[in-house]
Amino acid sequence: MKPFTYVVPKSLAEASEAGKQPNTVLKGAGVDLIDRMKERLQTPERIVNLLPLKDELAGVAVEASGELKIGATTTIAQLEQHEALANPALAGLQAAAALTASPQIRNRATVAGNILQFTRCWYVRSEAFHCLHGGRGPTCLAMTGENRYHAVLGWMDCVRVHPSNLAPPLLALDAEYSTRLGDKVRRRKFTDLFPAEPRAQTAEHTLEAGEIVTAIHVPKPAAGTRTAYCESREKLTFDWATTACAVKVVLAGGKIAAASVVLGAVAPVPLPRPKAAALLLGEAPSATLFQKVAEAAYAGASPLAHNDYKLVVGKAIVREALEQATR
Amino acid sequence: MTVPSDRGFSRRSFLKGSAVAGIATTGLTAAAHAVPAAPESFGPGRHEIALLVNGKEQKVTVETRTTLLDALRDGLDLTGCKKVCDRGSCGGCTVLMNGEPVTGCLVLAMDAVGQSLTTVESLTEGDTPHALVQNFVKCDAMQCGFCTPGMVMSSLACLQKRGKPTEEQMRTDLSGNLCRCGTYGRVMEAIQRTAAGGTGGGK
Ligand SMILES: Cc1cc2nc3c(=O)[nH]c(=O)nc-3n(C[C@H](O)[C@H](O)[C@H](O)COP(=O)(O)OP(=O)(O)OC[C@H]3O[C@@H](n4cnc5c(N)ncnc54)[C@H](O)[C@@H]3O)c2cc1C
Ligand code: FES
Repeated sequence: MKPFTYVVPKSLAEASEAGKQPNTVLKGAGVDLIDRMKERLQTPERIVNLLPLKDELAGVAVEASGELKIGATTTIAQLEQHEALANPALAGLQAAAALTASPQIRNRATVAGNILQFTRCWYVRSEAFHCLHGGRGPTCLAMTGENRYHAVLGWMDCVRVHPSNLAPPLLALDAEYSTRLGDKVRRRKFTDLFPAEPRAQTAEHTLEAGEIVTAIHVPKPAAGTRTAYCESREKLTFDWATTACAVKVVLAGGKIAAASVVLGAVAPVPLPRPKAAALLLGEAPSATLFQKVAEAAYAGASPLAHNDYKLVVGKAIVREALEQATR
Repeated sequence: MTVPSDRGFSRRSFLKGSAVAGIATTGLTAAAHAVPAAPESFGPGRHEIALLVNGKEQKVTVETRTTLLDALRDGLDLTGCKKVCDRGSCGGCTVLMNGEPVTGCLVLAMDAVGQSLTTVESLTEGDTPHALVQNFVKCDAMQCGFCTPGMVMSSLACLQKRGKPTEEQMRTDLSGNLCRCGTYGRVMEAIQRTAAGGTGGGK
């Protein structure tokens, strides 16, 4: 790690002012950041530590409106264990948190940090390789290289995948996020957080330099809402997803009245599949229906040399998530 | 004690640092150069911090980039926690922070100021080792032993949190600790024995 100045803000205003300075990065727990700094992929001069701003940024609360407010620096373990998540409407979010990394990491890593983490592509994350997304080379090396864990959908000139467990269920739940940049406070739809055209030279998220995510808001789920999150992986525990799927269904009188399907770990961004979700509307849950939805979720996929298994496994995971949500 | 400074720190990089304010309240000390209305900042040079380890406050000199793992091992000579992957993927460096297991290799020492830390050394401080340690020996729950201190800390957290953990709970709580010798079964036996003995929560 290169030496840096460690900034301890006393307020959000101070943090966002400090965060706007050149060569400065914001830090949650630092799980992703320290990892990248050890590899010298990121060499900031200043790190602004957000963890001391507990009053402003930490904790989970159910607001008077029924909306769930998740503070940006809430740990993944705190989110998973919060009583508000023991609810079929939020089961997908809880499962995604519980399946993330290891107990040690869930006890530290923040919710915002998980959503804003850098891709795990082994070319970008190794100093030895010079690829375009890392800003160190002319092309995406994974596209023609070892791409077992890379994208099968939605890629342009870079086949990295977005690794966050928490992003797909939050998208499925129509979550929003609040940010602060200087004096400017904004609240936007979660879909705005990820680039519409995830090119090699586009960052993982659309935040401006120094813009602090302060909270994530999950609107009060409609009656009959159920969510699920499933992922495929190579190990039973403590592994990254090879494919993931978060679903939301609203059941009314045995029929599906509203639905969303969001894929994770298969594209450079967490990927909502509205056309697949639309097939569920007005229908009763069935294996045949879920098969159709799974096919539609992966429609238009372009697998690479070593990852067409993701289509087979990924569709099974979509079906499994739908089964769980409608069981 | 002092963390060796052979990791690229120089006087020049220290002087390049921005405003450094000394604060006593949090146990942090640094060269004082207060600038009004600017946030407190430390480094990039070396400075002394106080860490609360195994119930005792201990001073250690670190750089802002020093990890908790390096501060414990190199600065405080608490070498029970092991540096294996140094990337959060093995659990060899597991210590408890406010009772919860964390991987010290991905925590900045600065972030640990003011937190209560427990290392494996705390389990052998008195005349009799902690029941969990005794049960690790009785159950032969180690082979090469390198993952063992981390395993012990995750096991301790499991016992403290669950009392009498089920097999599934043990599997979850140990899932961040890798053992290449495959001692998991015996580690779970050691946890269960300790739980049955009713000594999991303390010495
Ligand atoms: C061994 C290992 C296994 C893992 N397995 C999984 C897994 O299975 N699934 C999964 O989803 N993740 C996994 N992770 C990733 C882990 O969940 C993330 O690294 C972690 O959540 C990051 O959170 P953090 O608080 O440490 O973020 P940091 O490292 O502090 O920050 C990450 C990024 O977000 C920015 N940032 C953080 N907070 C804010 C904020 N409030 N506002 C604006 N910007 C911010 C930082 O500037 C930085 O760029 C794993 C990590 C490791 C090391
Ligand atoms: S050394 Fe910290 S997890 Fe491996």
